Amino acid sequence: MTDHDNDTYRAQFDQDPDSLIACPACDTLHKAVPVQAGHIARCTQCHFKLMDPKPDTLTRTVALSITASILMVTMLCFPFLTISQAGLTGEVSMLEIIFDLSHGWYNILAVLVAAFVLALPIVRMIALIYVMWPLHQGRPPPAAARQVFLFAEKLNPWAMTEIFIVGTVVALIKMMGLATIGFGIAFWLFCGLVVVIALKNAAVCRWTIWTLIRKSPL
Amino acid sequence: MSLDNLDTDPKVAFMTRAIDMGWIGCHTCGTVHEGDQTHCRTCSAQLHSRLPNSLQQTWAWLITGALFLIPANMLPLLSNLVLGHNEGHTIAEGIAIFFQTGDYFVAIVILVASLLIPFSKIFVIAILVLSIQFRWQLDNKTRLLLYEFVEFIGRWSMIDVFVVALLAGLVKLGAVISILPGTGAICFALSVIFTMIAALRIDSKTIWDAHPKDTIE
Ligand SMILES: [Zn+2]
Ligand SMILES: [Zn+2]
Repeated sequence: MTDHDNDTYRAQFDQDPDSLIACPACDTLHKAVPVQAGHIARCTQCHFKLMDPKPDTLTRTVALSITASILMVTMLCFPFLTISQAGLTGEVSMLEIIFDLSHGWYNILAVLVAAFVLALPIVRMIALIYVMWPLHQGRPPPAAARQVFLFAEKLNPWAMTEIFIVGTVVALIKMMGLATIGFGIAFWLFCGLVVVIALKNAAVCRWTIWTLIRKSPL
Repeated sequence: MSLDNLDTDPKVAFMTRAIDMGWIGCHTCGTVHEGDQTHCRTCSAQLHSRLPNSLQQTWAWLITGALFLIPANMLPLLSNLVLGHNEGHTIAEGIAIFFQTGDYFVAIVILVASLLIPFSKIFVIAILVLSIQFRWQLDNKTRLLLYEFVEFIGRWSMIDVFVVALLAGLVKLGAVISILPGTGAICFALSVIFTMIAALRIDSKTIWDAHPKDTIE
């Protein structure tokens, strides 16, 4: 480290503090020079993904979030699993599975499944639509854009749709000896949902969104 | 190279961090602020040069998570009432049953998700926090790998909780079989959640504070 470097950063900061970025993972300073869509700029110290602008990030995120919300709501209306055993057949939807759990101690399990698999993913989608729809329309970001996008970012690790799918497959194999269990329409919609959510998460460049939000008045 | 680090030679030189300049870099979005600011002008998050009490909070959540893992493994995860026979089993017994019946896929998924990940995660978080706390000579690359492990792998432990919930949800369909989640399942779920919170309480910036010269290049 030389004084020269510090002076350069200081000059850069005085000229435009937004032209610098401190890596959120390791605090290393970088001069933020926007990269081309499709390219990734990583931290020189820890390789954290600082910018990964995508072509049409707003259009894609909004479109995929709307698709995912529709899939989610549709999925709830159809049977998730079908079961036949000793001549009896039946089917259950996701909501029925959750409601069947909600008594006594098992309420905790019901709440966990409802929150991690259904509620938090859908709240995150709605939050992204709220922030990005006006931006997509070329309007200024909504008043609470900062807080809402921050909240959506914090929710990310708690949305567990993809984990639930693996759990479903394991549960089916576990049950094979006891009853014949099949997949309902909702299961396949749910698989589609997992793919759409993955595409949606990959379409968000946080740096691009934050830069757009920053332009709105506090 | 489109991101310019103004240091002359990134491989040898000390990387200038926001803290070195008396600035605060936002933990969420990376916006650089003067040291006296309290909230980020870009994302509204609270600003801290380093998260206050990060180590104490991580320890508290981690110990709680570890304590819940004990009953999670002792108590039945699931009780099957098949034709009146109670076949409750713990996590380890469940894995053994599937190995015996030849369901190797299920056995391995549960072994990894319910035993290996939860235990190794608690161990790894402890190593990580100790290495930050006592400035162990653990190179930054190793610590970063450990950090990424706890951040991205930990959530997958929830598989078994979802399996139990699904099996129990099928109860009303079968008159012959009835499956009830055991208290072990609830302890296990809480343990996974507490260790996830512990991982989120770690300030990854402190990983680089002890030996800032050591880059992963
Ligand atoms: Zn970094
Ligand atoms: Zn910020």
